[in-house]
Amino acid sequence: MNARHPLETTLVLLIGLAIATLIAARSLPVAWLSNVVVLGFAALKGRAILLDFLGLRAAPAIWRGLVTAWVLGLASFAWAASAARLLI
Amino acid sequence: MSAQDCEMQESGLLAELPGDPMIWVLIFSELAVFGLLLGAFAVARAVNPVIFASGQAVLDAGLAALNTLVLVTSGWAAARGAAAARTRAAAACRRWLVLAIALGCVFVAIKLLEYAGEIATGAGLETSTFFTLYFLLTGFHLLHVVLGMVILAVVQRGAEPGAVETGTSFWHMVDLVWVLMFPIIYLVR
Repeated sequence: MNARHPLETTLVLLIGLAIATLIAARSLPVAWLSNVVVLGFAALKGRAILLDFLGLRAAPAIWRGLVTAWVLGLASFAWAASAARLLI
Repeated sequence: MSAQDCEMQESGLLAELPGDPMIWVLIFSELAVFGLLLGAFAVARAVNPVIFASGQAVLDAGLAALNTLVLVTSGWAAARGAAAARTRAAAACRRWLVLAIALGCVFVAIKLLEYAGEIATGAGLETSTFFTLYFLLTGFHLLHVVLGMVILAVVQRGAEPGAVETGTSFWHMVDLVWVLMFPIIYLVR
């Protein structure tokens, strides 16, 4: 039996999300919704990279949490800044 | 207390991360700098929506998306190289890391092609706030890609597990920054 390596599963996920990101950005007509989707997908990609490529899945929770907080914080801040502009 | 004991104590929790603890000091510093720069870009867009929309319209999001595919595939090859190094499969480790470096070269080539297209339309460092931040952010990231390729080239020679994990950790940081930089600069409206 030729089982797929876990890193291949992560790669397939990352490629799928990258393609879905571009499609969503070009097809969703509502700006705030498009921003939520592309930044949400970016956060998912970042989480996959830090857990499986960077190897933080097996690291102490504090480091995993710190890098995850960087990913989610930056994506949320970028969305909040764009939303604030759309409201003005 | 020996020098090695002192070093172990200083490393503390960092010692439980993959690779040399000092690479993590660098990684956390880089994440802080890129976080601040990308945050500043998001705020500047909120303040200058028209300038940023017209600047973003000049960019080729398709090429940048292609570069995302190239860089995440390179990250996968680097992760495979680190896994091979851990099992002491030195030849396999070198092959994976050479693939990661080759894909890094493709990323650089695509980015330079993209810059050439933008400069041909008249865009430059002083064209607008958008392009100043765009060239600074993506140029700074591009420098890290080149530095990461040099580091991978150095660690692949010995294929020593600790050194390979140190080099690939830096490479994954560069990958991580790009997956957030891409939507924030090219796609967020």
